Amino acid sequence: MTTPLKEQWKAGPKPPVSVKGTRDGLLFLLNEECSVDEIEARLRELLHGESAGWFDGPEVHVAVDYGSRQLTPHEQRRLLSVFLEKENFVLREWGSRTQARHSLYSHREGAASPIIHWGTVRNGQHVAAEGDVVIIGDVNPGGEVTATGDIFVFGRLAGMAHAGSEGNRRAVIAAAEFMPMLLRIADTYARPPEIDGRPLYTWMEFAYLSEEGMAVDKIQFLPNLRRQG
Amino acid sequence: MGSSIVITSGKGGVGKTTSTANIGTALALLGKSVCLVDTDIGLRNLDVIMGLENRVIYDIVDVSNGECRLEQALIRDKRFENLALLPASQTKDKTALTADAVKRIVGELKQQFDYVFIDCPAGIEHGFKVAVAGADRAIVVTTPEVAAVRDADRVIGLLEAERLHSPKLIINRIRPRMVKQGDMLDIDEVVQILAIDLIGIVPDDEVIISQANKGEPAVVRPDSRAAMAYRDIARRILGESVPLMSLEEKTGFWQRMRRLMGGRA
Repeated sequence: MTTPLKEQWKAGPKPPVSVKGTRDGLLFLLNEECSVDEIEARLRELLHGESAGWFDGPEVHVAVDYGSRQLTPHEQRRLLSVFLEKENFVLREWGSRTQARHSLYSHREGAASPIIHWGTVRNGQHVAAEGDVVIIGDVNPGGEVTATGDIFVFGRLAGMAHAGSEGNRRAVIAAAEFMPMLLRIADTYARPPEIDGRPLYTWMEFAYLSEEGMAVDKIQFLPNLRRQG
Repeated sequence: MGSSIVITSGKGGVGKTTSTANIGTALALLGKSVCLVDTDIGLRNLDVIMGLENRVIYDIVDVSNGECRLEQALIRDKRFENLALLPASQTKDKTALTADAVKRIVGELKQQFDYVFIDCPAGIEHGFKVAVAGADRAIVVTTPEVAAVRDADRVIGLLEAERLHSPKLIINRIRPRMVKQGDMLDIDEVVQILAIDLIGIVPDDEVIISQANKGEPAVVRPDSRAAMAYRDIARRILGESVPLMSLEEKTGFWQRMRRLMGGRA
């Protein structure tokens, strides 16, 4: 039986610029849906406005990824100059599919094989991956799993799971013991419903996005759902 | 060459220091040579619980700075001939101790003792990293409370990151009656969440507090259930297989009567 998840809400729009720390330095992700003007304004505010001090200091390697957008040479120059004005920035990468963005996520090797994570995802741990993820173990409260594809938990899902993290609305979250704290598929959040004052606690179920929002169903129905789509 | 065991929990007040003192003393009573190391700089308690506060002259920070020899800082417990304590510093800054220094000191202690127990400060910052640096194994202490279990879970993850895999678990301060009424997490629930081996369960016991105030570890008391639990843990550390104690309380007629009247049994 399908259980619709009652309490749901949308994530805010993606910011024009997000900054990530990587092993090598800083990675700037420029939102491909924003205008170049908007991005430039935001960058100036970040790097030369009030928060400029955060980015000062010793030399730091910087990678800039502008997604799948096409930039004219003029636009490239405009954005580049904002970074070049920062004296301690050493620009290492500039492009649409940079190595830095790539290395932000663990990778699946073949296109079809999922990432398999062995062991419990404990409080404070975060497993992030591109593609589908299989967790052999529990996801404890305070633990987090993020995947651009589906998430399957061979254990108890009691933490937070985010499937389709780059916008795939057909991604699903499945678990042997299903008692998640918070679910997110693409940009929709849902908190599992409470039944008789107790949080949802079921076995072998999965969450997906239907037309009415997020819903939970028995795992046996997952192949059907995939065939329909 | 002995082995070093860090006792940690994440959350404060769950019984790290009490467990260190009692397990260490129990092992000393079983004939092993034991050294207790307090790494809670600035909030040292282990010497107080052991009743050795008035014998602290040098401390672990002095040893790490080379202001005294390790031997000079060690306090030999006169009641238990195999037991020694390396106290923490009360006045120096938390950052006075480094991971390398602790590794070196614990390495030296392992040469002369069978077991070195490291009492870790609460939290997961500098003090935790320093305490964990010298350890071969870890014991995580928790209580059957949701917050303590969450923190224990976090700490187990951090221990794995420090290459201390499969730590052992102590569930401390269990109140059987509350568990029975469903007001307290039971042992199975805690073990299921944390997914590590249980090395002991310790019932809540007032003797722990009165003995700590006296400066004498509770394990010397033959009548206390918590003492019994700690002695069992010590034997499990030695490799014996000891069944978990039953938490069923024996309730006599008068205790039931008293409870009916609203008093505590």
